[in-house]
Amino acid sequence: MSSEEEILKRFAAIEQAREFYIIGKKVSRVDALDAVLGRPMYTGDLVTGDFLFVKAVRSPYAHALIKGIDISRALKQRGIEAVITHRDIPGENDAGSLIPDRPLLAVDKVRHYGEAVALVVGSGIETVEEAIRLVDVEYEPLPVVKDPFEAMKPDAPRIQNRDNIVTHFKIRKGNIEEGFSKADIIVENTYKTQFMDGLPLETEVAYAFPEKDGRITCISSMQNPFDVYNKVVKILGVGPEDVRVIQAATGGGFGPKSDETPIDIAAYACLAVKKTGKPAFAVFTREEATTVQSKRHAFTIRHKTGATRDGKLVAWKSELVADTGAYISKGHLVIARATFHCTGPYEVPHVWADGYCVLTNNTIAGSTRGFGAPQAHFAAELQMDALAKKLGIDPVEIRARNILRPGSLTATSQRIDDAGLEICFGKVVETARWHQKRREYEELNRTSSRIKKGIGIALLYHGNTLGPEGEDFATVHVRIEEDGSVVVQTGLTEYGTGALTSLVIIVAEILGIPASWVRMERPDTSAVTSSGPTVASRTTVIGGRAAADAATQLRGRLAEVAAGLLGCSPDELVFKDGVVSVGGDRRRGIGFRELVSEASRRGVELRVRGYYIAPPTRWDPETGQGAPYNQYTFGALVSEVEVDTETGLVVVKRMTAAYDAGRVINPLGLLAVIEGGSIQGLGHALTEEIIHENGVVVNPSLHGYIIPTASEAPEWIEPIAVESPGRIGAFGAKAMGEIPVVLPMASIANAVAHAIGVFIRETPLKPERVLKAIREAERKER
Amino acid sequence: MRRGSAVVKRFSFVLNGKPVEVEVPPAYTLLETLRNVLHLTGTKDGCGDGDCGACTVLLDGRAVHSCLTLMAQVEGRSVTTVEGLLRDSSPDEVQSAYAESGAVQCGYCTPGLIMATKALLMSNPNPSVEEVKEALRGNLCRCTGYAKILEAVLRVRR
Ligand code: FES
Ligand code: FES
Repeated sequence: MSSEEEILKRFAAIEQAREFYIIGKKVSRVDALDAVLGRPMYTGDLVTGDFLFVKAVRSPYAHALIKGIDISRALKQRGIEAVITHRDIPGENDAGSLIPDRPLLAVDKVRHYGEAVALVVGSGIETVEEAIRLVDVEYEPLPVVKDPFEAMKPDAPRIQNRDNIVTHFKIRKGNIEEGFSKADIIVENTYKTQFMDGLPLETEVAYAFPEKDGRITCISSMQNPFDVYNKVVKILGVGPEDVRVIQAATGGGFGPKSDETPIDIAAYACLAVKKTGKPAFAVFTREEATTVQSKRHAFTIRHKTGATRDGKLVAWKSELVADTGAYISKGHLVIARATFHCTGPYEVPHVWADGYCVLTNNTIAGSTRGFGAPQAHFAAELQMDALAKKLGIDPVEIRARNILRPGSLTATSQRIDDAGLEICFGKVVETARWHQKRREYEELNRTSSRIKKGIGIALLYHGNTLGPEGEDFATVHVRIEEDGSVVVQTGLTEYGTGALTSLVIIVAEILGIPASWVRMERPDTSAVTSSGPTVASRTTVIGGRAAADAATQLRGRLAEVAAGLLGCSPDELVFKDGVVSVGGDRRRGIGFRELVSEASRRGVELRVRGYYIAPPTRWDPETGQGAPYNQYTFGALVSEVEVDTETGLVVVKRMTAAYDAGRVINPLGLLAVIEGGSIQGLGHALTEEIIHENGVVVNPSLHGYIIPTASEAPEWIEPIAVESPGRIGAFGAKAMGEIPVVLPMASIANAVAHAIGVFIRETPLKPERVLKAIREAERKER
Repeated sequence: MRRGSAVVKRFSFVLNGKPVEVEVPPAYTLLETLRNVLHLTGTKDGCGDGDCGACTVLLDGRAVHSCLTLMAQVEGRSVTTVEGLLRDSSPDEVQSAYAESGAVQCGYCTPGLIMATKALLMSNPNPSVEEVKEALRGNLCRCTGYAKILEAVLRVRR
């Protein structure tokens, strides 16, 4: 057997194995120790020596013409080295992360509050802040388009030189009229979700400096170094070799750090270096970050759903409107994902959906963990509970009659081929003791007048990785050093979830060595090739395949040498515990390290580039029908709440969460994203809300925008991992990074409805809103 | 970051057990002094506004937000930062507990949380879960969901 066949055979064997060497075992994060010791890791910690400070002059208007910019007073200030406007940009004035609709610095118009108009460069933050006040921008305010329904009117002012409706995304399955004619009951509701901020704790930050050879190096905090790099090269108007972007440790991602603002901050610092020849540092204040960071889209969703008397869904009609703010960012893709998932994980024979992504003069909405799925599931899952209520059946019952099972067709008529959802659903119902708790709480609520208890459920499916959202590929470089240590480097990034630890685990598994022999190197655009964006929970699924490809190539090269040394054929070799042996017999084996030095001595190249690209997905843009994603993650969440009917305060006591991770490669990482995502989702459900008043963000701070503290965390989150292997992911892995943030809004809202007896169809469920709902329900009862 | 102001004032205090003197503008906060003058970057800036706790240090053994603490308040007193917890270059038990419990994701909140935990355990070596939650209310973490953080703190209580 040739070594290539050996590799393929072994790879298939490993993929099917239930017993792994390292996969699924607890491997701790390698960098945790640096963090607890407070070692310098983040961009702001790495700044040394003399440097200039650069900061943007931002628009106080949400919509205005720029009649003139006078920088002369600012330039005269002591300590000010440059003031940069759109005229001074050497290359292209475009910072749009995907669509070139957004200037780095405004030209003749500002379209949202806080849009950057100029950059001030000087020594010392106070000097720069003073000079910012001296940049005279003459604005002529324009009418502000505050909400998407206003923007969709034919006579609405145009935000950009294009229609305000960016995308009209359609799903047409079956025959909707026919569907409704079969319905015994119909439920119609409107749901509204708010603008939210992913809010990584570290704000946008970049430090750039000139190298001796004239190249500019930029260290920054981001998810996608290559997006930033490509844009900065264009903005500076220089050659690809003139810029180098390095990702420092990144204090949280959650989407915003993959979107527009990391490009801005890096461009600010690099432009300042280009202009002055000196090192420059740029950092957003919390206020700036909360104002201009890409938000989670505010959605309005109208659903009309028909079911038969025995609870079978027959028809579902939806209209989804997403407010993407003044520039598109990823809005056209977010609306696609939301629309694809608009019926929730249920089989409906007739579906008609229209999704609109609309421009307004609000601040930009773009990538945020979950990418349209939390909003879609919130509306779909409340709709399911409304149907159950109308039919007088249990929420679990209506779901059991309609969930996607093997062989079911989704809203896009894609056939589901695994039972992940059924398993997750069954597990949460059982583990949470759903039926018993439901009864208990109802009894209790009859006697308790102030505190009411509720239990709610929500289910999800989540089309994996990019699908329609872009080229789904990854490259991972792996090399084995002469001492036998293994180095993995990729353009995919770590920002807290431990996703890259999965790559380490996969490489260690295939080479049969302890994970501690493998280390990751920081992403550096001059050292690795692009690996596509670190978004859409891609790292383990797609990056894992590329890492497996690289490790498998290396294994093949080593196997050839070992087979010669041990006098066997390569397919008899077992790689385990740092020993390569014939059939696992350690007496007929060679140490991994010894083998590596032998291979290097023979001149075997132990440096490879692994690559994987997911099969392209196809669907019809006119009907949305087809297979937009290669595989689906499934999940189920039960939340238990207490509602204080005098204050309207909702407390989440317990969450039981089951997710189908396909294959658990990194259990600690999985737990980390489940716990973290659940609480982030809890914040979305109860308190978080970016408030625009006439386009102006009125609460850009951490006391105005309230995220959960340790006190709001539920007493218990019960995480359940389900493994129903996916078609494409490494070892069957499915996307997990974003998933746990999707369901809390829906599940908590259903639990609150159970507690107080009325549905609240607008988030967040803040005390005033809950109280109002309770009072209205009481009035109706009387 | 560094302020351009020309007027500076001298402040002396004890930092991680050693006396130090700095000359900084009087409007400087302890956070600015630590990070930008003394280059002790373990203490983080998450808001500069007293809302997130990333900048938490000990002032005479009590947890304070260093972004809201002016240098005049520090004069003559004793400051401990995350760097000062190392004993003979081995991590403090609170630091180890955080690393071992998986209480660290992006790590940006971690030094502040460790200092808040330290302050709690110094005044109350055996806190209840409720007391831990209350003591950590001023420290935001966006990544972990706090479960592992509580686990870490409970691991080191007496
Ligand atoms: S930086 Fe001090 S509380 Fe946030
Ligand atoms: S670990 Fe990222 S904010 Fe706490």
